Amino acid sequence: MSKKYSFLIVFIFLLCSIGCKKKTKNTPQNYLLNSISSTKTGISFKNILTEDASHSIINYIYFYNGGGVSAGDINNDGLIDLYFVSNQGDNKLYINKGNLKFEDITENANVKGSSDWSTGTTMVDINNDGFLDIYVCAVSELLDFKGHNELFVNNGNGTFTEKSKEYGLDFKGYATQSYFFDYDKDGDLDVYIVNHAVHTNLSHGSASQRENRTPLVGDVLLENKDGKFTDVSKKANIYGGVNGYGLSASIADFNNDGWDDIYVCNDFHEDDYYYINNQDGTFTEKLATSFSTISRFSMGSDAADINGDGFADLITLDMLPSDERALKETEGDDAMLHMQANLKNLGYKDQYSRNMLQINNKGTYFYETALFNKIADTDWSWSPLFADFDNDGHQDLFITNGILRRPNGLDFKKYVASTFKQHGQTEGLEWLYKSIDEMPSGKVPNQIFKGNSTKFSEKTGDWIEKNPSLSNGSLYTDLDNDGDLDLVVNNVNDFASIFENTTNSSKNYITVKLRYTEKNKEAIGAKVKVFAGKKEQIKQVYTSRGFLSSTDSKVHFGLDSTAKIDSIVVNWPNNLKQTLKNVAVNQLQTIYYSETETSLKKEVTETETLRFKKEHFISYRHEEDTYNDFFNERLIPYKVSTLGPAIAIGDIDNNGFEDIYIGAASGKTSEIYLNTGTSFKKSKQKVFEEDAAFEDTDAAFFDIDNDGDLDLYVASGIHSLRNQNYEIDRIYINTRGVFKKSTKKTLINPLNTSTINFYDYDNDGDNDIFIGNLSNPDSFGATVNSAILVNDGHGNFKADPNFILNSRVTSAVWADINGDNQKDLLIATEWDTPKIYINTNGKLSLQEIPKNLNGLWQSIAAFDIDLDGDKDIVLGNWGENNRFSKYIENPIHFYYGDLYNNTKREGIIAYNIDGQYYPLNTKDELASQMNIIHKRFLNHKDFALQPVEKVFTVEALASAKKSSIETLSSGYLENKNGKFLSFKRFENQLQVAPITSLTETTNTAKKQLLVSGNTLKVNTYHGGYTALKGFLISSIKEIKPSTSLGVEPFDNQIKETAILKMKNKKVLFVFANNDSLKTYSFKN
Amino acid sequence: MIFLKNSLRLIAFFVLFSCSEKAKDIQITAEEYHGLVDQLTKVMIHDIFSPPVASRIYTYPNIAAYEVLNAENGSYKSLSNQLNELKSISNLPSAKNINKPLAALIAYLDVAKELVFSKEKITSFRDSLHASWQAQNKQQFTAAKEYGLTVSAHTLQWMQKDKYAETRTMPEFNVHSKDPARWQPTPPAYMKGIEPSWSKLRPFVLDSAAQFKPVPPPKFSLKKDSDFYKEVLDLYNLTNQIKEKGNNSEEIAIAQFWDCNPYVAVNKGHFMFASKKITPGAHWIGICKIATKKTNSSFEKTVFAYTKTSIAIADAFISCWDEKYRSNLIRPETLIHKYIDASWTPLLQTPPFPEYTSGHSVVSGAASEVLTTIFGDGFAFDDTTEIPFGLPIRSFTSFRNAAKEAAVSRVYGGIHYNAAVQNGLTQGIHVGQFIINTIHF
Repeated sequence: MSKKYSFLIVFIFLLCSIGCKKKTKNTPQNYLLNSISSTKTGISFKNILTEDASHSIINYIYFYNGGGVSAGDINNDGLIDLYFVSNQGDNKLYINKGNLKFEDITENANVKGSSDWSTGTTMVDINNDGFLDIYVCAVSELLDFKGHNELFVNNGNGTFTEKSKEYGLDFKGYATQSYFFDYDKDGDLDVYIVNHAVHTNLSHGSASQRENRTPLVGDVLLENKDGKFTDVSKKANIYGGVNGYGLSASIADFNNDGWDDIYVCNDFHEDDYYYINNQDGTFTEKLATSFSTISRFSMGSDAADINGDGFADLITLDMLPSDERALKETEGDDAMLHMQANLKNLGYKDQYSRNMLQINNKGTYFYETALFNKIADTDWSWSPLFADFDNDGHQDLFITNGILRRPNGLDFKKYVASTFKQHGQTEGLEWLYKSIDEMPSGKVPNQIFKGNSTKFSEKTGDWIEKNPSLSNGSLYTDLDNDGDLDLVVNNVNDFASIFENTTNSSKNYITVKLRYTEKNKEAIGAKVKVFAGKKEQIKQVYTSRGFLSSTDSKVHFGLDSTAKIDSIVVNWPNNLKQTLKNVAVNQLQTIYYSETETSLKKEVTETETLRFKKEHFISYRHEEDTYNDFFNERLIPYKVSTLGPAIAIGDIDNNGFEDIYIGAASGKTSEIYLNTGTSFKKSKQKVFEEDAAFEDTDAAFFDIDNDGDLDLYVASGIHSLRNQNYEIDRIYINTRGVFKKSTKKTLINPLNTSTINFYDYDNDGDNDIFIGNLSNPDSFGATVNSAILVNDGHGNFKADPNFILNSRVTSAVWADINGDNQKDLLIATEWDTPKIYINTNGKLSLQEIPKNLNGLWQSIAAFDIDLDGDKDIVLGNWGENNRFSKYIENPIHFYYGDLYNNTKREGIIAYNIDGQYYPLNTKDELASQMNIIHKRFLNHKDFALQPVEKVFTVEALASAKKSSIETLSSGYLENKNGKFLSFKRFENQLQVAPITSLTETTNTAKKQLLVSGNTLKVNTYHGGYTALKGFLISSIKEIKPSTSLGVEPFDNQIKETAILKMKNKKVLFVFANNDSLKTYSFKN
Repeated sequence: MIFLKNSLRLIAFFVLFSCSEKAKDIQITAEEYHGLVDQLTKVMIHDIFSPPVASRIYTYPNIAAYEVLNAENGSYKSLSNQLNELKSISNLPSAKNINKPLAALIAYLDVAKELVFSKEKITSFRDSLHASWQAQNKQQFTAAKEYGLTVSAHTLQWMQKDKYAETRTMPEFNVHSKDPARWQPTPPAYMKGIEPSWSKLRPFVLDSAAQFKPVPPPKFSLKKDSDFYKEVLDLYNLTNQIKEKGNNSEEIAIAQFWDCNPYVAVNKGHFMFASKKITPGAHWIGICKIATKKTNSSFEKTVFAYTKTSIAIADAFISCWDEKYRSNLIRPETLIHKYIDASWTPLLQTPPFPEYTSGHSVVSGAASEVLTTIFGDGFAFDDTTEIPFGLPIRSFTSFRNAAKEAAVSRVYGGIHYNAAVQNGLTQGIHVGQFIINTIHF
């Protein structure tokens, strides 16, 4: 007894000492990046905002966007100097005196600026005199803001002269930031200026307005013509519409063709712009074909190669909070449910309010992985910067955060709505101004993430202090020339932050400074590749990055413990290459352009022989009906009405080639296409016209009545107007090529069927059917019965009474997994585990599988994925790149019952944060189904942080039916001697979206699985998950993007893929919901 | 012993009685009733109720108060067995010695508190009133309370069966449609269609929501010579002419005066909010108040006028909403933007529901008919209802003229075509007349 106690005391003591240690850890000197006080640095700059009734967030939507900061060595003393922008006050120039001491020389230097509202800043040597000049953007002609963009030309003696007019750079408008680069490769620097829009009736109009250039608002591209900048936007195809809410841009050679491209972030409903340089002085905007998911309120951005494949990846920031309180108290994407349809009508792309990490696939398309990396919800975020902060050779990520007042606070909105009395415009605005203090504060910590080239992990509070701040513009640069990158941040109403990097000499690095030709001395646009330790890193020289800010033109590479650099290759802006061999580490290496040392050697890029060739066989487009689950069942977590098209394959005319049935959505006629061996011909079937009202979700050709030909079974989903007569499954009997509805006895199945699979499982010489049901069309939440229909040999069916499965089935397959020559039944389910039934002479026995496998399983297949000779069970789940994945460490629950005694049962999802379960839905969403929520929780703040037991009651939850998900990862159940007791997760690239289809194909005797998926069934809370662009898997070790073999990236919700043989080739069919059929021919 | 006991009781009774004799009657005037209606309006503005829902909230408390006064020996006839499914009260206590106006106020508040979200805003108002009445004359108050709450309980029971709760979970209006004639959400908030199932509610007097189904709107067509397109173009030209005349034009004054849209969204960057106004129903309730005050109406007549007017308004909404989600007609703003002029904006913000028929026209038609039977045709009045919302007074020579102006204001405002206004007014007059002819007050 006493022993135990003493142990406890020691333990407590230990705990205390750990606690104490933690405290000391929080003092600045222990972070990777330590904040240095302003008294120490001498940088006393603050971006102070002064609000009054006519100057505030009420009259100017970007009042809290903050100011920028730029870096550069303005006196050529080898130390980086800093220039800070104050929106309303004086800008400040600080000279770096070494040892992180700075001196304010603004007054003498004449650079405080004269615009009423200044924003972004960039240092650039505009007159090529070897001294950096300072360019500052300004908002003018809005409210009473006077001024224009200013250019402070460096006189070389510590003083500057404003000469913007002389250079044609005195732009007037709503400018946010300038991006200097040489788009036309004429050797001098041109500039792209991002300008923002403000709300007008027109700015909410159609997307096509971006084509009408609008003064003040539209972005501009200015060409440098012998030192004079002229507007070439129109000629260069740059959009400049009244709806261009531009907040930042990222310049990079995204497609590695040697010419600089532009990505522009637009706030609100306007799409971002992705301009590909046509190499002839013009650009082509290609967002729609290169990106499938983009940020809605795009703010800052940065581009850099983060995975080491040589192509620039991209991050765009948005404003999704991760804090549970903020999530429930502020307006989010749930409010977009009705808006989205309208925006689509107006020509805008679907956008979602969260950060987007766009991974570049060889310059052809991007796939988005921010949720996977858990960097999607960094709150009200402004400036992202990719850089290697710990010098380990991988790009890390720093994000600035915070807004003085959250204007999207729901209680504020309600408060204003119910108190605002519009005594005319002016009076009303004054009243509004007086109530801005009612807006909730949005002061939140900046965030930092460590990268390892495959996934980011958060290090806030470890690498950098976790203090709430209002931070906007930021930059990285090596202020003390010690080989690591320090951080500089411009804050609203507080001192600018300087974070000293303490990596110091613990890791190796190389810093590269380029000197190029006369008119672009800093070599803006050049690419630097460092080859060291079997690793290749690439950086492109651009100074303007993140938000409103620009860094210096040196490029920095961490080398970890690698002590030798094999070579550095510079790709100069003129695309000539220059190589430096055996460069020493831990130094600043200056590389001068030397024509004699350059060469035009083209990089050899591996080009795969394309296996698949796009070839047109059938003009078919699946058109979804207008039924919308979210309008009929408001709390439904995702649609269950878009399960089509239904595909059946079989040789129905006995010509040796398989034919195809494509089942349509409710209201459209389904079709049969007969395969002649060289083409596909439509086979007109009257009965399909008669049955057009049915929603086909799955189909199969098989001999139902044992007469030797293939009949057709079609599963039905939800009818567009919910007519139950059109929601039952159908059997069509084939009589010499004509299909007629069967009059034989079968089970009437009114449920929402997801899959049908035939097999003579009882081995009595006829085909039986497994019917997998997903839901009850009347109410999503209820689990439903699936069934096996036993054939009496004549096409009459009755259910096998021994088979009972009450679940939510998504997919199933009959496959022999134990080698007894009897196919077993494998079933994928949602909010449940996969089900494996071993078939022994018609007796199906459920197999044991590992624990904690409740998931949102979408697909299932038997395939020897570990190449050990037996069939494993491959399982497609939702993946790890979705909004559920944030919470999946603990089970996510789904409660179904009459939670509020409103005589209607509802289903709600709850997730765990620190041991408490919170409802996923917002107060308004819940109230739309349960009016009483509005009475119980008057304000959103009363509702936020209420656990489910408080929102509903313990009793109501106890009486509800609960299901859960415990894993979202796709993977496989390993077959070990016929047992399936271990689940192995797939690697990252297969976790980016739901996997809905696993199709087996054979390539030169090697079996492969074609993996496809994505979902657009989700509501605006999720957005859409379309990052799975397609893969061919031969084994867990051999995974290849199908796009590298000629298949176009999958941007839509793939239902399934199928391979049909023709005379001289095979054809890959790709069936997507609500999209056109795509076909590819291939030989092998 | 027995005698002693009895006499003690007698003494006790006597003492009690003499005390209460000293207590004065609680004086209730029409002014107090106006106060309750105003308080309810305030809470409704706070809670943001849509116009149809607001019309329902006005009506049930009025009926409860009316029934307190008239269920037994009132100056007017009881509405039980007249309004749909309203039965007479079986357990009504004796009305003898009941301060009926007081009981009416109590019943009113008891019903009202069940209808709003911010219940506490009604209950705290109620509690302070109750406290002051109790202090004035406890016995009278207690008796009135028992009487009033019996009526309100009966009213609530009847109210709860009007299908309102069921309509909360009915499907929303599906905005995903390829039909070019079908209503679409409108700028700047693109709100969902409000109350698509309102016609499923039990009407107060109408035999069904479709009883006064108006003629269909002109057939949707974008052909230049079609009646429909002409209406669109007429509206476009008219509003442009009005805009040219400038902010001081009579048409703009009229449009703003009758705006009555609780959903006007003001867009300020990341936040958009409704700049609050009262609903069309509330405006006519306000006119009813003006009329009763101008005529110095008694408490009983005041309650009668409010009750009859609010019933007319509520049924007008049910009738109108039935047509709105039958024709599902697209708003002028959507069409003009798409086909005529992308920069055109209506003078008023387009409210979030289908166009045909105009809600304000139907409601104004019904309310003005009822008010005319109560206060007479040619009843001139100064309409001060919109003063709290920063708008001037407008004067009218009759309720019917006011209704006509309210109707046409929607065309000036650019949110309705002419047919919706003309046919809407007719629809409203039919609803009003039917109530007048069917219900015996």
